[in-house]
Amino acid sequence: MKLLRTFFDKIEPVFDEGKPLSSLHPIYSMFDNMMFLTDEKTRNAPFGRDPIEIKRYMFLVIIALGPCFLGALYFFGIRVLWMLIVSYAAGAVVEIAFAVIRKEEVNEGFLVSGFIFPLILPPGIPLWLVAVGMIFGILIGKEVFGGTGRNLFNPALVGRSFLALGYPSIMATSWITPGSGTLGNLLINYQLAAPEAISAATPLVQAKSGIMSPLKDLLIGNILGSAGETSAILVILGGIIILAAGMANWRTVLSIILSFAGFNLLLNLFSPGTANPVLFNMLSGGFLFGAFFMATDPVTSPVTISAKWPYGILIGLLALLIRTFSGFVEGMMFAILLGNIFAPLFDEVVIRIRMKRYAKKY
Amino acid sequence: MNSTSLMVIFVGSIFTNNILFASFLVMCSFLVCSNKIDTAIGLGSAVTFVMVTTTAINYLVYHYILLPLGLEFLSYIIFIAIIAAFVQFVEMFVERFSPDLYYALGIFLPLITVNCAILGVSLFMVLRNYNFLQSTVFGLGGGLGWALAIMLMAGLREKMGYSNVPKPLKGAAIIMLVTGVLAMSFMGFSGMISM
Repeated sequence: MKLLRTFFDKIEPVFDEGKPLSSLHPIYSMFDNMMFLTDEKTRNAPFGRDPIEIKRYMFLVIIALGPCFLGALYFFGIRVLWMLIVSYAAGAVVEIAFAVIRKEEVNEGFLVSGFIFPLILPPGIPLWLVAVGMIFGILIGKEVFGGTGRNLFNPALVGRSFLALGYPSIMATSWITPGSGTLGNLLINYQLAAPEAISAATPLVQAKSGIMSPLKDLLIGNILGSAGETSAILVILGGIIILAAGMANWRTVLSIILSFAGFNLLLNLFSPGTANPVLFNMLSGGFLFGAFFMATDPVTSPVTISAKWPYGILIGLLALLIRTFSGFVEGMMFAILLGNIFAPLFDEVVIRIRMKRYAKKY
Repeated sequence: MNSTSLMVIFVGSIFTNNILFASFLVMCSFLVCSNKIDTAIGLGSAVTFVMVTTTAINYLVYHYILLPLGLEFLSYIIFIAIIAAFVQFVEMFVERFSPDLYYALGIFLPLITVNCAILGVSLFMVLRNYNFLQSTVFGLGGGLGWALAIMLMAGLREKMGYSNVPKPLKGAAIIMLVTGVLAMSFMGFSGMISM
């Protein structure tokens, strides 16, 4: 470690103001920050109450996503790792380009978006599409608004919905049959595999024609689906980690699940047969993954605590409606994006009600 | 005669076939007047009111005057004239009875005359063969849908006050980009209701 520090100290002057490489300073400080924490101490108030900051925060989210990622590797093979590498590379190009132009530091935000992105894609998708989606998501979803913390929409979801609407046929036929046994698909690289390994019906598509996958398979995850979302157990495990670490707000998760289940029960009660059974709907597709990891994004979800309830209820309701009645079999992606769009309005309403209450009180 | 149920028309014109996100009508006042939530609410309700009433009047005029006389080709001019006259009437009415609202809306009130969504809704009504009740509900839904769109945009723009938008994209350009993402998200409703 000490060797590394001396190396960093030695090369730092190369990037100083006025030197030919000075425009690359953000890249230098990114690597510097990734390896070392700052050793400066605060002299006067305010003092940090909690050692958490963006970097640790993002790192904890990635740890929580770990089970899903390992599950994806097991079920769908090494391919998921290539997808992750492509997604990181594409995201880093955009992120670093903007950091260099803006003369800002490279933010760690894209580490999470780049990690989540391959997990919400069909595992058999061509690698160039992963890059296209990631670049679109980071560019339009985040960088044009000023980067991490200033975006209006979830960048990974912007990228995914761009792919879903722009390349629907590729997206719909890129599922991989999951592996099983001790090694699963771990040793299989689907880039080279025979085309029959790729088939075309996820449990939600099959449910449209009345074939229900057993709940046990949905829980374990040996079903077709986006790379990281198939195994409900692993998603819940990761969800517990980020809830316990305080990364995700439990109100959002709880209200999404309650509203989704509640409206589903009501629908099944009043017109049986239109919607899938409640448990099947909750465990299949990206519902749990979205509820735990995507809807709880602290930047794009409402800021005020009370607004998180209507936000979650809206997402649950929309996900159910889109899944049941629209042409798309999976509603969570659009539901969360629409939730992001409504979030500032919910905040505004909450703040206005508060202001009125205060005005009355004093 | 079109047999779509009233509920379907109402929900459909607000969400699935939102006049702004599906047809991209009225971008002009959507871009200009969406910087504050209060303005958005005021303009949204004014547009809704004008849309409901003019659609109803236009229906009666089209089916009881233009059609019997064989003058359907005049419908564009007649519709525009009726909308303009009605907006004038609303303006005088608002000025007389609620001066506050009148000054809050300012120039946007007369500008509703050239709001293409209002003409658009009247033309869609003819195109889709709606009956009187369906047309009125369609006008109400279309107006509410537009009001919802501009309020959502105003909320996002207030949140964007914290954003650091690159210089070339400042102003209308970034609003167009955001509208694109909004339209992309509203695509999720497609296929849900056919109108």
